[in-house]
Amino acid sequence: MLLLQLLVNGIVTGCALGVVAVSFALVYATTRIFHIAHAGVYTLGGYLAWSLLAHGVPEPLALLGAMAGCTVLGAAIQHFLYAPLERRRATHLIVLIASLGALAVIQNLIAAVYSSDILEFTIPWASAVVTLGGLRLTGAQLATLALSLAAFVGMLWFAHRTLLGKRIRAVASNPFLAEITRLEPRAVYVTVIAIASAVVCIPGVLVPLDLGLQPYGGVTPLLTATIAMIAGGVGSLGGAFLFAVVIVVLQNLSLLVMPGEWSIGVTFAIFVVFMLFRPRGLFAAG
Amino acid sequence: MDYFYSYLILAEIYVLLGLSTNLLVGVVGIFSVSQAAVFGVGAYIVSDFLLSGTLSFLPALAVAAVACIVLNVLLTLPSLRVSGDYFVVTSFGIQLLATAVFTNWTGGTGGANGLPGVPPPDLFGFPLEETRQILGFTTVAAGLGCLAFWLAMRAPYGRLLKAIREDELAVAAAGKDVLRAKVSAAALAGAFAGVAGGVYATYMSFIDPSSFDLDASVLLLTMVVVGGARTLAGSIVGPFVLLALPQLLQLVAIPTTVAASARQLLYGVLLIAFAVFRPQGLAGERL
Repeated sequence: MLLLQLLVNGIVTGCALGVVAVSFALVYATTRIFHIAHAGVYTLGGYLAWSLLAHGVPEPLALLGAMAGCTVLGAAIQHFLYAPLERRRATHLIVLIASLGALAVIQNLIAAVYSSDILEFTIPWASAVVTLGGLRLTGAQLATLALSLAAFVGMLWFAHRTLLGKRIRAVASNPFLAEITRLEPRAVYVTVIAIASAVVCIPGVLVPLDLGLQPYGGVTPLLTATIAMIAGGVGSLGGAFLFAVVIVVLQNLSLLVMPGEWSIGVTFAIFVVFMLFRPRGLFAAG
Repeated sequence: MDYFYSYLILAEIYVLLGLSTNLLVGVVGIFSVSQAAVFGVGAYIVSDFLLSGTLSFLPALAVAAVACIVLNVLLTLPSLRVSGDYFVVTSFGIQLLATAVFTNWTGGTGGANGLPGVPPPDLFGFPLEETRQILGFTTVAAGLGCLAFWLAMRAPYGRLLKAIREDELAVAAAGKDVLRAKVSAAALAGAFAGVAGGVYATYMSFIDPSSFDLDASVLLLTMVVVGGARTLAGSIVGPFVLLALPQLLQLVAIPTTVAASARQLLYGVLLIAFAVFRPQGLAGERL
């Protein structure tokens, strides 16, 4: 029974991190920027929702408001940081350093405004427990499962069925050709990061319902998400989502044999295995 | 005066770390946020040997240096096999894993409480207890590190490393051994970090995981970016400037609760500002 409970917990959190992985993978596949600051956008989402709720905004509106805030932040990072760097023909290393700098700024502004301690994020229905044949599921977990799957399916539909999604995939597969056919890669980059930031806000709000808010709490989820993206194969959104679920399930099952402080070791071991045997990932495109 | 000496000692220890990070980030051109982990391993190895009394200071420092050479080469190996972006993941992963080990392996590291009472450094049985003596020792250590870095950079070996960063394929096509050059640079960087760790632990006489976490790695990266890549001057200027900045922050009345985040915020702003406006840093070459 404990095994089944851990399995279910893993699948629920895995779906949430799957959304982080898919949004990161969309940015990475399109812009080729390793967007480390995405962890900061993820963290900000939770804090914005917390503040809006504290000011008496209804829950769905608080989520939408937080998503709007994240969208603005993501688009601003692209417009005021990545785009000028690209114009100056900065090296890849410099873009990474700038992204890390942006993450440090976001995290520490949050820490200065709120506090660097863990902030309880409690909503009455979220901590209510539903029992399904011996399995205990909290309201937060049910919401996480439903919204994460919806976000994932929505992203897939968007990328494959809409005109903007097709334009994004065209830019991702060949930026040069997209440039000369007037698909305007630069405008697409802003759009992609804006969309990814709005989407990553969803797990950014839902995961802290269980674990609480922490200004520096975005790095570990982002690490799991990037490992999932690499294991799944860059360019495959489905692969990224699937591997996020697999990694988090394995992390949870590892609780049977070792304490939770070491779960980062499990995540990293999976990464090392992929680096050694299949660095291109399982479902790499092209 | 003692306050100023302790600033100098710490800055000199960080010069060694700056050299180490500069070798990886500036010279070889890989993004690393895990140098504080290697620094920490050096510090814990020396502390454990001295606290248990099995080795005296210099042999312990030698063991730490060798261990950090091996560790740093192992950590850097993935960057030789996969593209630069994947190494970002390796680097973050190693740093978070190291923090988990430092915090949770209470047997070897004292866990979150750290290791108190590390004895002061000694040279051949002659303990260095006064601040001035330690300052002399760190000056010699940092000086030797700078000399090694300077000699390596002006030798054909240094030009080979710079050429690899510019165009690895062309260097390989010219018949040079790219792998050996990168591995030896990583080894040198590991030795610097290991020695710095040992000296840091014995000078502070207390170490805990907070000195070797992700924030510490970001600080090391900021030192290289602000000081400047690939030059000796950059590796020296960076640590001296960045360790002086928190003192300036104290002049502005910031409540102590946000002091730590204000400091990290400043490092983030510096990273962005230098990346956008001055990628060559104060005294270096373009990253």
